[in-house]
Amino acid sequence: MLKRSIALFLFMGLVAVIGGLCATGGPASSDAQVAEAPEAWKTEFDDICSRSQNAMTFSQEELAALIQRCDALLPQIEKLDETRKKVYMGRLRMCRGLYAYVLDSRKNEKK
Amino acid sequence: MNKKLFTVLTLILVFCGLSFSQTGTKKKRPLPYEYGRVVINNYSEKADLSPVVFEHWMHRSKFTCRVCHVDVGFAMKAGATGITAADNAHGYYCGACHNGKMVEDGKVVFASCSRRAGVQDTSRCDRCHSLGKRVVSDFDFFTFSQPFPKERFGNGLDWEKAEELGLIKPASILEGFSSHRRSLAAQKDFALNSKVEGMPDIIFSHTKHTVWNGCELCHPDIFVGVKKGTSRYSMVDISEGRSCGACHTTVAFPLTDCQRCHSKPVQP
Amino acid sequence: MLTCSIQERTRKNKRGLCLLVLACGVLFLTSVATAQVYLPGPPPQPPSDYGKVVLDAYSSAPGPGAVVFDHWLHRSMFTCRLCHVDIGFAMKAKATGIRPESNREGFHCGACHDGKRLIKGKTVFASCSSAGNDTNCARCHSLGKPNARKYEYKSFTAKFPKSSNYGVNWEAAERAGLVNPIDYVEGISIKKAPMQNREAFSIKAGYSWVNPIWFSHEKHSIWNGCELCHPEIFQTARKDTVHYSMFSNIEGRYCGACHGKVAFPLNNCSGCHPRGPMWAQ
Repeated sequence: MLKRSIALFLFMGLVAVIGGLCATGGPASSDAQVAEAPEAWKTEFDDICSRSQNAMTFSQEELAALIQRCDALLPQIEKLDETRKKVYMGRLRMCRGLYAYVLDSRKNEKK
Repeated sequence: MNKKLFTVLTLILVFCGLSFSQTGTKKKRPLPYEYGRVVINNYSEKADLSPVVFEHWMHRSKFTCRVCHVDVGFAMKAGATGITAADNAHGYYCGACHNGKMVEDGKVVFASCSRRAGVQDTSRCDRCHSLGKRVVSDFDFFTFSQPFPKERFGNGLDWEKAEELGLIKPASILEGFSSHRRSLAAQKDFALNSKVEGMPDIIFSHTKHTVWNGCELCHPDIFVGVKKGTSRYSMVDISEGRSCGACHTTVAFPLTDCQRCHSKPVQP
Repeated sequence: MLTCSIQERTRKNKRGLCLLVLACGVLFLTSVATAQVYLPGPPPQPPSDYGKVVLDAYSSAPGPGAVVFDHWLHRSMFTCRLCHVDIGFAMKAKATGIRPESNREGFHCGACHDGKRLIKGKTVFASCSSAGNDTNCARCHSLGKPNARKYEYKSFTAKFPKSSNYGVNWEAAERAGLVNPIDYVEGISIKKAPMQNREAFSIKAGYSWVNPIWFSHEKHSIWNGCELCHPEIFQTARKDTVHYSMFSNIEGRYCGACHGKVAFPLNNCSGCHPRGPMWAQ
């Protein structure tokens, strides 16, 4: 009797969840940027690449650290769907490229 | 025998090559509303649509170069981005704004490449896929450019002055795409020597360029050399679309406007 | 054995010779076919036809008929720079893409031919007006229509000094004050800080028996400004880095972009290669 009740409650819960998903349309069809909380890789990307304007004020160590973070982020972006992979690979390349460029210029200055 | 044949064939090729080379002539100058036009046809014709015609003048009055070319991620060469309808429908590239929801200047921006486009959407599709079609745009170049200060060449408009006068206010942030950046640490302006005597030196303003482009747009993709003077390029390179020519042959003021760059007064 | 190899060698030599003759023939034909002849031919007769541009990309029947643009009338009134830089006409027939819509919008011909602009005290007739019975159409769309034009070459250029070689001597005409080309038109031209003129210089010809060329930047920039030639026609930043020859000029490239089409023709050798002994240059 108890087992049956538990099973019934679980089944009703499942139905409710499915019903809820159908009502909202599910995560796939809602606006990807607005409805969801930003994913971890996106937060990391925003954090790294929002500093590009001040690249010239960073020390060599800071720049090297940012480049390392870019490199660590790359495999996560490669796992995304085709569209987002295309977009963010390009953006990460530009962002990392800038930091590497500025780091190079720092090293050249010292010479 | 083989050597003779080789020499003869080379000579023939050289002569034929000479007769087909195209240097030393004036190129066709696009009309002011055509300057900055990009035709994109990676997939359009395969999908039975006309190729896309993108006019820069409309968008550059509303957004900085960086928003599209860094934050949204468009490439700087026609066809190099590889935009697909799916990308747009998912809210990337053109779909970053053209999603039927974003409001710009009190109007809703029409959606591009929706997932389920039917025959009733033809007039909407034609707004972008317009090569070879007479499409009446919402925005007319003449009405648009009437109040703008005029310049020679290119679009015939002085975009810098237009911004100074407040006629355009290009947005440098696109919500959901632009990382919120701190204020820019602008680099100094510097002079570049022109290699020809009597030709005024070039004054390059980093400030002016970074206001619209940020840093990543040029470095390191377009300007690789790190120390000033290590990137060596000539007017020939520039006219072929390298270095300054990445923008100043197609969208920014063209090379015929010598004094815009060669502006340092010449010492008598 | 020896006899056989001599025979073989003779056969090979004959074959090689035949091939060489064939190759020379092909090269010659290619040269002739692409007008790669060394000496520039004579310009068209009569001189009123020199500089004539026929534009029939869109205007042929059933349209109003092909446009005939004579350079001589406009060049007596305007500098080359005004049309080819400020207004933006291309330097090759049909390359500009002039349409009646663009004329009505005030581009190209419509920059002056708008029915309102005053040039030298006269109102310039409108081009491609949308009005129905316009009698002015044939003034431009005049191919094959005699007496459609208002100005005629002989009477217009009667008082101009003639070149000893061919046609009008425009330089002399300007010196004498008979022509005063306008370089600035309100609403079209934008005044810029003047660029310092480069000095005149001599260019060594490719053959020792030909006098060097004497090129005057000043003379060219009075009419052309800088942008007409640089950087599209003459791309080089440094003299001597672009190599071109009479072949290129005859083809319409480099100097031939103007000389041979509108400016004095290429068979006027002394115009560029001044007479006088080579050692005195």
